[in-house]
Amino acid sequence: LSLLPALALALRPAAAGEPRRPLALEALGEAGELAEELWGAGLPGDLPELEPECRQLLAAFAEGSAALTGCLGRRARPVRLCQACHRHYRLLLAQYGNIARAVGNSSESHNCAKSILTSDRLQIVVALSEFFNETWEAANCANCLKNNSEGLSNSTVEFLDLFNKSLTCFEHNLQGETVYLSPNNYTEVCKNCNETYRMLNDLYNNLQRMNRQGGESGHSAHLCIDVEDAMNITRKLWSRTFNCSVPCSDTVPVIAVSSFILFLPIVFYLSSFLHSKQKKRILILPKRIQSNASLVNIQEKYS
Amino acid sequence: QLTPSSFLRIGQLSNVDLNEDVHELETELPRQHPNEIPHNEKLLSLKYESLDYDNSENQLFLEEERRINHAAFRTVEIKRWVICAMIGIFTGLVACFIDIVVENLAGLKYRVVKGNIDKFTEKGGLSFSLLLWATLNASVVMVGSMIVAFIEPVAAGSGIPQIKCYLNGVKIPHVVRLKTLVIKVCGVILSVVGGLAVGKEGPMIHSGAVIAAGISQGRSTSLKRDFKIFEYFRRDTEKRDFVSAGAAAGVSAAFGAPVGGVLFSLEEGASFWNQFLTWRIFFASMISTFTLNSVLSVYHGNAWDLSSPGLINFGRFDNEKMGYTIQEIPIFIFMGVVGGILGALFNALNYWLTMFRIRYIHRPCLQVVEAMLVAAVTATVGFVMIYCSRDCQPIQGSTVAYPLQLFCADGEYNSMATAFFNTPEKSVVNLFHDPPGSYNPMTLGMFTLMYFFLACWTYGLTVSAGVFIPSLLIGAAWGRLFGISLSYLTKGSIWADPGKYALMGAAAQLGGIVRMTLSLTVIMMEATGNVTYGFPIMLVLMTAKIVGDYFVEGLYDMHIQLQSVPFLHWEAPVTSHSLTAREVMSTPVTCLRRIERVGTVVDILSDTSSNHNGFPVVESNPDATQVAGLRGLILRSQLIVLLKHKVFVERANLSLVQRRLKLKDFRDAYPRFPPIQSIHVSQDERECMIDLSEFMNPSPYTVPQEASLPRVFKLFRALGLRHLVVVDNRNEVVGMVTRKDLARYRLGKEGLEELSLAQT
Repeated sequence: LSLLPALALALRPAAAGEPRRPLALEALGEAGELAEELWGAGLPGDLPELEPECRQLLAAFAEGSAALTGCLGRRARPVRLCQACHRHYRLLLAQYGNIARAVGNSSESHNCAKSILTSDRLQIVVALSEFFNETWEAANCANCLKNNSEGLSNSTVEFLDLFNKSLTCFEHNLQGETVYLSPNNYTEVCKNCNETYRMLNDLYNNLQRMNRQGGESGHSAHLCIDVEDAMNITRKLWSRTFNCSVPCSDTVPVIAVSSFILFLPIVFYLSSFLHSKQKKRILILPKRIQSNASLVNIQEKYS
Repeated sequence: QLTPSSFLRIGQLSNVDLNEDVHELETELPRQHPNEIPHNEKLLSLKYESLDYDNSENQLFLEEERRINHAAFRTVEIKRWVICAMIGIFTGLVACFIDIVVENLAGLKYRVVKGNIDKFTEKGGLSFSLLLWATLNASVVMVGSMIVAFIEPVAAGSGIPQIKCYLNGVKIPHVVRLKTLVIKVCGVILSVVGGLAVGKEGPMIHSGAVIAAGISQGRSTSLKRDFKIFEYFRRDTEKRDFVSAGAAAGVSAAFGAPVGGVLFSLEEGASFWNQFLTWRIFFASMISTFTLNSVLSVYHGNAWDLSSPGLINFGRFDNEKMGYTIQEIPIFIFMGVVGGILGALFNALNYWLTMFRIRYIHRPCLQVVEAMLVAAVTATVGFVMIYCSRDCQPIQGSTVAYPLQLFCADGEYNSMATAFFNTPEKSVVNLFHDPPGSYNPMTLGMFTLMYFFLACWTYGLTVSAGVFIPSLLIGAAWGRLFGISLSYLTKGSIWADPGKYALMGAAAQLGGIVRMTLSLTVIMMEATGNVTYGFPIMLVLMTAKIVGDYFVEGLYDMHIQLQSVPFLHWEAPVTSHSLTAREVMSTPVTCLRRIERVGTVVDILSDTSSNHNGFPVVESNPDATQVAGLRGLILRSQLIVLLKHKVFVERANLSLVQRRLKLKDFRDAYPRFPPIQSIHVSQDERECMIDLSEFMNPSPYTVPQEASLPRVFKLFRALGLRHLVVVDNRNEVVGMVTRKDLARYRLGKEGLEELSLAQT
């Protein structure tokens, strides 16, 4: 008997023809409608429809995650994830939190958290939220956001400014020349942008060092992906495309020094072979009976 | 007449008939001056004495046993457990100390050199960096080598051969002293920091053994402190048990492998094994790895995490790519064959080198210079390899500790530098776990080749250092190379993860060099933390051992032999049944009478030409012919204590106040009994008599003359004897069999060989 209210509750929205399906799902219509008719027919089965509040929360979450996915996808290359999407991410976190905390208006145990998050095997909402969290962690975005994760941290802003500056510098200095010039002719860029590039590089190294010291626990040794990627691109441009960092290779002295050192053992072994006195062992003659014959000798002597 | 020195020619087997014997005597007699030969492997050194595992059940012993009641024996048992726990704790702490100091010093060195290289890459002048690196290495190694060469030479090498000998029953001088431990620990730290191709794992076993020997005796003669505890354990038998526990604790701390440690001790000293001992040793091992683990996890900042059970941690091998399929097993076996061949090559090269070192580089200063040169060359080879390598990998997402950029583009590092510019332990782990594509095949090939020769050259230097890690590193490098080429051949099949092949290669190479079987399998299994790898690792080690044994023997056995140690293997040589005790024994035997004149005893003990340690005691018949019935056996150490306390018959009659000698007096002198020269015996006292019947072991083990060599051997080995008296059917002493008499028979390439005795 106590089942009755629950059943009524479950059937009510369906009977009123309420379910608002998202437009995109219209195509799936037939099958869904069939299913709903089956419900409507009052089949025995505890198939509660969501309460409106919960449905709103769910819709909000869906929209939030769609927005975040879109943002992540659009900002994948060159990587601008943390700069561009942190608002979406924060929003999504809040929405998920709402679901997890929300309690439906029914006094029964049917709260939203339970029915949305844990009532089926797939648990798609949880899975989605986990996916976003993991991505965020992997990207190490927390590292370039402020502590309360509102907006970029000062150092990041500074770095990005410098980064933009060096990119502009590259562009400026490249304007006169054609892209198809041989790599040797980037000298202009190398000369003019050296200072900015050095500053950028130093700043990056500083950030890294600070990060390593700050993160005592050791595992988050990475900077956030935006910064890393920006630096990576710049470095590649600088040393691969422009070929600006040409290290001095002094092969001759290296060969000279190393062959000198490698030569030393040969001298050492030869000289110790020739001059050192070979160690001799002194043999000791053990006291032993050599054969039956000599044993007989001894026996005779003793007896 | 026959004189003792003219009985035979050295190095020849018996079965000479009478005529030949006479002929021989004529040729031998003129040669009275010592016979000098260059050092070779077919020698037994007189330097090594045997340990005395046989309990002397004399009257003092019986008295003591009567005095100690049942409850007291229970406290002895509890004390054993306490000692084992302490062994574990201290071994773990020593391991921590080594690890932390090495990490910091090596880190400092690499940072300095890296800074220097980075600086000079821009401006030019890299030859200075090379010089800096080589000089740093050489000077650190110089210190490490000097303390070993000048203070305690027995601390050289990995220490595993020495511990093997100790557990076998050979007394290596100084091997379990506190001084050795200190030198060993400092030496290991310095040689690893000095960038040699060595590891710190092997020496841990030696360190553990020394700690065990020290704690169980409750005193240190190096420090001249006696804590007056654990006096009951001051004899060879008890000490050996604790030393095996210490060795196990050392293995366990080195590899995080408690079971492997127990099995290591079992493999090396199984002749005296029993369940309770096993259980205690296991306890010590577990405590050791747990101590190391907890202290290191506190040091690394995540206490209670317990994530570093050993000095070397192979890392986890549990993702699905690391699994293996049944088709791969033949490939693993093939790797075992390769490992066996390379291991044999390593040992053969090292054999020649060691021989050369023993013959020509025996002066300590030469040894130090050699070690310095090896250190400088190691740095140079590393530098040149890094310099010539053009293998650059992106720095992002990699876990390189000291990325060297050198000629790579910004944001990339030189991948050769991860292998050379790092401590060997880290390099091994990198080779196991770096994602596919982190190394190019050329880099790995060159690295394997160079490191092989460097490691081979390094082992046997006068520095304390192990061979485990270099072997693992060589193996991991060629194993990874093998894995990479395999995936080229199969056009990139999924299962060819190079890390897995690196592990198998490491096992194969290590097995090929040291030829350990059961314990090594378990150690590898525990170090990887993956039981399913047990089967392929076992196969690999088995194949490597079989293939390697076909060419030369294992590195440790080889070094034991080169040191001319009288080492007894499990069994007597198989073809030796025709030899009897009569041919094996030494004769004539210096016997003492039951009531002997003090002067005679002193003369016998002072005679340097016959430095005997055990003397059969015979019935003192007044109408003495030279041989009389055997009554017991007395040791040199006991005689010395008796002389020192002047336990003479006359004195006992004169002064009744004289304290009766107790077993404690003998224990207090253990293990370093004073030499006979330090004991003063006056002219009057020489005429006194000494009664041995109360102190001798009244029931020594004896064999008849007709017993075959394998029979004698079995008795000797299984009971851990030091002296075995050969008697005739009238119970008269005919000869004496000691360790050196048995160890000189060996199965060589052309059947049974006989080694000669030599003074070294």
